[in-house]
Amino acid sequence: MILIISKKQETTTNEVIKWLLAMGKKFIRVQEDEVFEIKTKEKRIYIESDRNCFYLDEISSVWYRRGGLKFKNFHYDNHSVNIHMQEHQHWLHDYVIKTLESKKHINKQSNSAVNKLFVLEQAKKTGLDVPEYYLAENTCDVVLDKTIIKPLTGNITIDAYQNYGESIMYTHVIDRQEEDSFFITFFQEKIEKDFEIRSFYLNGRFFSTAIISQNDERTKTDFRKYNLEKPNRNVRYNLPIEIERKTRQLMELLDINCGSIDFIKSEEKFYFLEVNTVGQFLGVSSMCNYGAEKAIAEYL
Amino acid sequence: MRYFNLFSDILITKGVNRILISDLQRNYSELQSLELNNIIEELKSNSIEDVFALYDQESKEMLQEYLNFLVEKEYGFITENSWDENFPPLQTDFSDSSTISNIFIETADLMFSPQLVQSIENLGIRHLVIYCESKLSLMDFLTLEDTFNDSCLESIEIFSLYHEDVNDDFVKKLDEKCLRIYSLIFHKCDNAAFEVTDTFKFNLVFTDQHLKINSCGKVDLKYFETNMLKVLEAINHNSCLHKKIGIDINGNIKNCPAMCNSFGNINTTTLEEAILHEDFKKYWNLTKSGIQICKDCEFRNICTDCRAFTEQTHKNNDGLDISKPLKCGYNPYTSQWEEWSLNPLKQKAIQSYSMQQLNYDA
Ligand code: SF4
Ligand code: SF4
Repeated sequence: MILIISKKQETTTNEVIKWLLAMGKKFIRVQEDEVFEIKTKEKRIYIESDRNCFYLDEISSVWYRRGGLKFKNFHYDNHSVNIHMQEHQHWLHDYVIKTLESKKHINKQSNSAVNKLFVLEQAKKTGLDVPEYYLAENTCDVVLDKTIIKPLTGNITIDAYQNYGESIMYTHVIDRQEEDSFFITFFQEKIEKDFEIRSFYLNGRFFSTAIISQNDERTKTDFRKYNLEKPNRNVRYNLPIEIERKTRQLMELLDINCGSIDFIKSEEKFYFLEVNTVGQFLGVSSMCNYGAEKAIAEYL
Repeated sequence: MRYFNLFSDILITKGVNRILISDLQRNYSELQSLELNNIIEELKSNSIEDVFALYDQESKEMLQEYLNFLVEKEYGFITENSWDENFPPLQTDFSDSSTISNIFIETADLMFSPQLVQSIENLGIRHLVIYCESKLSLMDFLTLEDTFNDSCLESIEIFSLYHEDVNDDFVKKLDEKCLRIYSLIFHKCDNAAFEVTDTFKFNLVFTDQHLKINSCGKVDLKYFETNMLKVLEAINHNSCLHKKIGIDINGNIKNCPAMCNSFGNINTTTLEEAILHEDFKKYWNLTKSGIQICKDCEFRNICTDCRAFTEQTHKNNDGLDISKPLKCGYNPYTSQWEEWSLNPLKQKAIQSYSMQQLNYDA
């Protein structure tokens, strides 16, 4: 039995599930609004929510996509008892998560959120080229037109800011100095690119796509600013073996076995940009007929 | 030395006199000369300079123009020293998780039995096309939408008879309440109640033509559609019938409602049972490369291969009809389009179908 932890109406999950059905593989889908209670029967542990109920030892593989397993937490009136029981419950929850994560899996609830700064540091250690970066509170050290800023957060959208419904924080080139200082911000050297590469990574395998937009001023800095008139060209690409080897090493260091990884190709160099574990990779992958959803379903 | 690299999502289909260049990313196709094709072929194994050396002074200009064209259209790019070998070719295999992806139902109303709805779910069907000869009320449409709430069905296209209740308000309500309808065609409409100006979630058409089930299968430039998945499917399978199932007005389960062969009736047979019939999938792997005339046509990868109405001239060893679709007026040997229904060579086939149609109506 495959355990899928995801959110409602999540397209990637839905597509993978269609393949699981086609392959006749059994699965349980857990959604964000479920709260589980840990129970036992004949010395076996099972967990139960309003929608699902399963033994831990029934699960053969786990796909952590989004959201997470949540548990009911009981409180007790007596302070001392409560302290003890909180810890008691903590270890039970921890045991369930650890047990599930020790099975064959795609990503883990416990470390799915990646820290962009830490990832860049690790990437350097594995020998990948990384554009120079630093944190600063003013623009004193900024080389104008050669420096970009981008968010450190996983979610790059802001809801209902000023008069906008939803704003997306795109990578932005700095073209003027700011007089005031501001909240600590991530600055990075701007790389003149030939094109960008987005690799879907699954347990050591790379499905890479070149995202070509060099003919187009509007998409030069960040391909998410789609130009709908003449869309980018997304075509299959093979990263050099050396880059794949180093990136594989990075993913092992981070203990992540699935995600999409962004690079910039600039002449002979491949600059590593970031790893994303929750993003939508289907669009880019389907333009190359890679069948990433099928690959996930096969792996589980 | 400089080298020209053609992008892997640019598909070139060679016909007798011309080529069709399909940009599978930008969903666009255009006709070009065989001459351009020769140049593209030469550029695959020679540097740009070497190809230029092959041509005399006059032709060099033309060559330069073609090269500019290829680069401007972003069909490819130029590299120094060698081709960029890191760009592998597109894999043209086709995979689809559903057992059946399309269902085409000819029906008198929009009431579907729970059994049929369940079958649609079990087979993983994504697209539903309904052809209806009667007038449908707003309630009918809303009930239909409701029927497939929470199902794997993604899109619905409906052909139905126009009537006076179909006004602005009617369509606005549909737009508000329906998620899956992506195309609505009201036929036999002499006088549409309003101009289609608003942009709705779906594509809305009023036509004065009285569409019949045998109006399907027309081949024309305006119906061609360049779309990566469809092209990949066409390269590997029959572009109309692969993973398709049909139900005709009498409930007979077929490859499409206009085909003759029935694999049972929905009152007694489930769709799941019907597709197990040994002949159900017999056309699924018949590609255009196996169809007479079409196999030489530059449009073969973006064209629909109708098997219900054909010229009825050829059968292969397995008894499959491999004749060209009847309702195509294109001749790839002369590159001319003409009105298919007037072609003297097609009259016999046309007659055989209309006779069938008479029996069928009776
Ligand atoms: S086989 Fe012909 S009639 Fe049937 S659905 Fe296809 S195009 Fe239409
Ligand atoms: S000859 Fe065949 S492939 Fe060409 S347009 Fe007609 S039906 Fe389509």
